[in-house]
Amino acid sequence: MALRMWASSTANALKISCSSKPNVSLAFSLSRCFSTVLDGLKYANSHEWVKHEGPVATIGITDHAQDHLGEVVFVELPEPGGSVSQGKGFGAVESVKATSDVNSPISGEVVEVNSKLSATPGLINSSPYEDGWMIKVKPSSPSELESLMGPKEYTKFCEEEDASH
Amino acid sequence: MILATNLCFRTIPTTCTTIKQQKDPPHQLNPVIPTKTKACECFDLHKELIPYEKAWSWQKQIVKQKKSLLQEHEDCPDTLIVLQHNPVYTMGTGSSENYLNFDVKEAPFDVYRTERGGEVTYHGPGQLVMYPIINLRNHKMDLHWYLRTLEEVLIRVLSSTFSIKASRIEGLTGVWVGNQKLAAIGIRVTKWITYHGLALNVTTDLTPFSWIVPCGLRHRQVGSIKGLLQEFQSSTQYAEAIKPFPDDYQLIDISYKSLIKEFSEVFNLEIHQKAITVPEF
Repeated sequence: MALRMWASSTANALKISCSSKPNVSLAFSLSRCFSTVLDGLKYANSHEWVKHEGPVATIGITDHAQDHLGEVVFVELPEPGGSVSQGKGFGAVESVKATSDVNSPISGEVVEVNSKLSATPGLINSSPYEDGWMIKVKPSSPSELESLMGPKEYTKFCEEEDASH
Repeated sequence: MILATNLCFRTIPTTCTTIKQQKDPPHQLNPVIPTKTKACECFDLHKELIPYEKAWSWQKQIVKQKKSLLQEHEDCPDTLIVLQHNPVYTMGTGSSENYLNFDVKEAPFDVYRTERGGEVTYHGPGQLVMYPIINLRNHKMDLHWYLRTLEEVLIRVLSSTFSIKASRIEGLTGVWVGNQKLAAIGIRVTKWITYHGLALNVTTDLTPFSWIVPCGLRHRQVGSIKGLLQEFQSSTQYAEAIKPFPDDYQLIDISYKSLIKEFSEVFNLEIHQKAITVPEF
């Protein structure tokens, strides 16, 4: 499936993204002020994404999420072989003295975790959909994917969430 | 000069309302659209020394309760706990044991590895610890905002009650007076409910901080309100000195009252004191 990327946002994303990186040069700020939402993925309202390819689903946090967090300094991941449940926490990310839960968008068995994140947690910031993936799961109920948002819905969800706060 | 030059009081008040210093304007604080003031229950244990483990499991219990309320789409009021701890070291999720200047197996006090952000710190008598367990959906779903706002509360306490001009250092969460960190912050967020919180050195014995690299910052110092006031006292003319110099008990009490007042104002919450007795631990 071809991946299409489009910029999601609005003045609200502009305000939030820029205020969290005050010393960045203007050119960089402008390019970072639009959260990227990828086609072909499903999204949870707690800002995790899922890419379902055959028997395995890859999970990470979205560009919107990493942008709001700021620089990720530590990532906590489960052990392979463990299980995850839809909507329940499976790990955590730490940034700026705040550690937040990461929740699984689907249920299943953890088959692989991204060991690169222990030495380079910043991959979540620089490449949230590719090198910054967090866990790979064998889904136990593929129908759970139906309850997640598509790219357009997720984009709208982010805009509404940012606008209301 | 660590204190505001227009020091206009000679005695530290027993309540914080008698001093009306010109408040510093909010630092980098995006104005929150004012909404109806919400209630926040407060458990006042500021005069008590509570074992860390007990307070930690109490917090987790409260968080669990709030998550169930949210799941049932019920109202989820905010909670505030203020207390002191027996001497203890705590570490955050990504904390390194390299910042302990001792073997963790032979530590001078208990060491807890917790789920909050931030590096190692010390808690002990004379330090006011505040655990806001609040639903950021009632405020602003923005962790940066939350941290900056906690700092704002502390900056206002120091300014309005002690005329201490404290500030933020960009990139170093916490509240500083010059190179001295007076208050540390480290939080955990789950489903937008916060826990853990902040620690303000009022009359803390700072020696245990020298056995760690506090917050992983090697070239910084830790300070306390009492320390700064004593510095002011020794460097000033008798006529301008703080008389009588408050005892530790008074300093803790005044700081507590100021913390509650500023927290209530900055977060736009109405504080409701809830009875709790230490035996419940």
